[in-house]
Amino acid sequence: MKSLLSIALLCSLSVPAWANEAQLEKIDVATDKATIERGAGILMDTCHSCHSMKYLKYRNLLQFGIDKQKVDGWRGDQPLDAPVLSQMSDSDNMASFGKLPPDLSLMAKARDGGPNYLYSYLLAYYTTPDGTLSNHVFPETKMPDILNISSASDETQRKEIRTQAHEVVSFLTWVADPHATERMHLGYYVLAYLAVLTTLLYFVKDRIWSRLK
Amino acid sequence: MAHRIINWIDHRFPLSSFVKHELTGYPTPRNLSYWWNFGFLAGFVLVLQVATGIFLAMHYKADIAMSFDSIQHIMRDVNYGWLLRYMHAVGASAFFFVIFVHMARTLYYGSFRAPRELMWWTGQVLLLMLMATAFMGYLLPWGQMSFWGATVITNLFRATPFIGDQVVVWLRGDYMVGDATLTRFFALHYLFPFLIIGAVVIHLVALHTVKSSNPSGINLADKDNIPFHPYFTIKDLYGLGLFLIVYSVFVFFIPDSLIEPANNIPANPMQTPNHIVPEWYFLPFYAILRSVPNLVGGVVAMALSVMIFAFMPFLDRSRIPGGAHYRPIYKLQFYLFLLDMLVLGYVGYVPPTSQTLIIGQIATLCYFGSFFLVPFISKAEERWLMKRGLPLEVKELIEKESHDKEMRKRKPLRRKEGTV
Amino acid sequence: MGNETLSDGDRRDFLIKLTSVVGGAGVAATCVPFVASMNPSSDVLAKAETEVDLTDIPAGGMRTVAWQGKPVFILRRTPEEIQAAQSSNGIIDPEPDSKRVQKPEWLVVIGVCTHMGCVPNKEGPGWTCHCHGSQYDDSGRVVRGPAPHNLEVPPYHFVAENKIVIGKA
Repeated sequence: MKSLLSIALLCSLSVPAWANEAQLEKIDVATDKATIERGAGILMDTCHSCHSMKYLKYRNLLQFGIDKQKVDGWRGDQPLDAPVLSQMSDSDNMASFGKLPPDLSLMAKARDGGPNYLYSYLLAYYTTPDGTLSNHVFPETKMPDILNISSASDETQRKEIRTQAHEVVSFLTWVADPHATERMHLGYYVLAYLAVLTTLLYFVKDRIWSRLK
Repeated sequence: MAHRIINWIDHRFPLSSFVKHELTGYPTPRNLSYWWNFGFLAGFVLVLQVATGIFLAMHYKADIAMSFDSIQHIMRDVNYGWLLRYMHAVGASAFFFVIFVHMARTLYYGSFRAPRELMWWTGQVLLLMLMATAFMGYLLPWGQMSFWGATVITNLFRATPFIGDQVVVWLRGDYMVGDATLTRFFALHYLFPFLIIGAVVIHLVALHTVKSSNPSGINLADKDNIPFHPYFTIKDLYGLGLFLIVYSVFVFFIPDSLIEPANNIPANPMQTPNHIVPEWYFLPFYAILRSVPNLVGGVVAMALSVMIFAFMPFLDRSRIPGGAHYRPIYKLQFYLFLLDMLVLGYVGYVPPTSQTLIIGQIATLCYFGSFFLVPFISKAEERWLMKRGLPLEVKELIEKESHDKEMRKRKPLRRKEGTV
Repeated sequence: MGNETLSDGDRRDFLIKLTSVVGGAGVAATCVPFVASMNPSSDVLAKAETEVDLTDIPAGGMRTVAWQGKPVFILRRTPEEIQAAQSSNGIIDPEPDSKRVQKPEWLVVIGVCTHMGCVPNKEGPGWTCHCHGSQYDDSGRVVRGPAPHNLEVPPYHFVAENKIVIGKA
């Protein structure tokens, strides 16, 4: 029952906005280890205090090839098989934000626009004329501007933040679908095989049907 | 050795003669186009869905506290679990795609007409069972779309006269879609494919009695039939290769294109997603439901929109055989109907606005209109074509048929005269 | 239709043979993911190794830990027990004690009776299996039947003075 309630609470935060996909910035998600490792670093340093990724285990990070020392640093004394849960408890999170930060395991798949949505959302913070913080993509958000895009003053700083957002989103895309690379790799073989088989079948069909004439 | 075993069996069971009569030697019209591949493809997808489904069921847990997690377990931890799940999810869409093409071919070429009415009706039953199976399977991942889709569809049964509310609670086993609903949907989702297999056998027995139709709509003389094997086995296999290429592109490269993002959020009975849509294959029917501004009316219209195909053998009254081949107006009507389906699908997908509502209502009228007008249009078309002149073989066929009818009418009369 | 002659022709046709082989290979390859899906999943495999901290086991004390879902007995033997174990080679399945331990002080064995798979109880010196009465000594060697073999020693290694990892030698 408790877990049910927490799931219910978790979802009440994550209202899928019928976002206008046209206004989202389109990005190419990186799949290389270096980018994803940097993204993991940013996420574990800045997001992990509030957000969980309950379907990701520390051993998954290790298997993917992220440096063992880094993973050991993040997990502390938790076993390798432990899920990546937020450092703050649910009640502390409720006290600070008034709602629970959503789980990020599937976040890259759970919004219209997917990675594009996340990227645009992270960079859509701005300061309103009356000095409060708001977000173009998701105005009701309770999350602070963790990458500080709203207070970035010059272009080099903005570029830096953009890179960081891209790394975080690349990491989250991997977390949401860790087998994607393997899947596409296998897909090329399957398609190549099917192309050969279908061509052969075509010629066999041709030959068999030619007996009719 | 093999020969002796077969002899032993043949002595006790008509194996060889069955294979020869129904499979290898089964006479098939030689002019079948590739549109006739889709029945075989539907059978293939059925086997694929059963196979992947059984292996998924070995890892799935039908419990609202665990089902969402167990899907992630399949996707992340089970060896090739992601492949099985994507094959099954894409397979559901593939099944409907193949069935819709199969139905469209039947309508276009008039294959539902005498003597194939029973095939058409067993096919209709198969469609309903497929829809039920797909709908129940969609609840199992226990995502937001699963939950709200099941909530909306079970609520349709509120339209049942007098006991609507009780029926809805009975279907769910709970006041809301809940654990009881999920568990029974899983049980039935596992059962239904086997009922479908049974119905497919009936469908095929009927087929082998009346034999395949063909693009001309005229039953061919024996000389124009060729044995199913090897001609159509190889043609079906070649078609299967093409189908598998498209299927694999979806499974390996864009599997999430058919899964709504909201279904990656666990079901939350306290919060409906802003935009709920059914799977693409239900969209036209869903649009008809939304177009009628009345609960009972909408449900009746939607049910009728699926069932109305069964009336086609009665509605098409033309004496010109077959479908679009000899009948230009029927052909035009078919394409307009297809266009109307696409419009309805679009209306079903977008969030309702006053404009789409009106478009939907007009399209709904067109949908039913295109069925109700069939008797009149087909008759008018027949008169027009008779006057314009028909190919010789068609004329002969029509004359022969009216002659046969006359004879059948006269026969009982004669017998009476004899007894007197 | 001359069906027989058709299939006779088929058999000679290289193209058809090739296509059948390619198609058959595809069907066989398709079976792989289905069969593989029934093997232990990665979260089960993650439990293949268990780390055990030995510091809080007193001399003469025993701890049972789960490894791959099976009970593993870790016995911290007293000098007397070590001596008793080393003095004989067992009766039914003779094996010197030195082959069964890495450090004489620590005995690590899988607590599954080699007869019918029950879990023996620690009683006095050694273990007794209550299912069919097999007895094992403090080296995990069977001293009374019906069990045919000694308790199995799992692969393990010391990662620190007082820490072992079971699952990898």
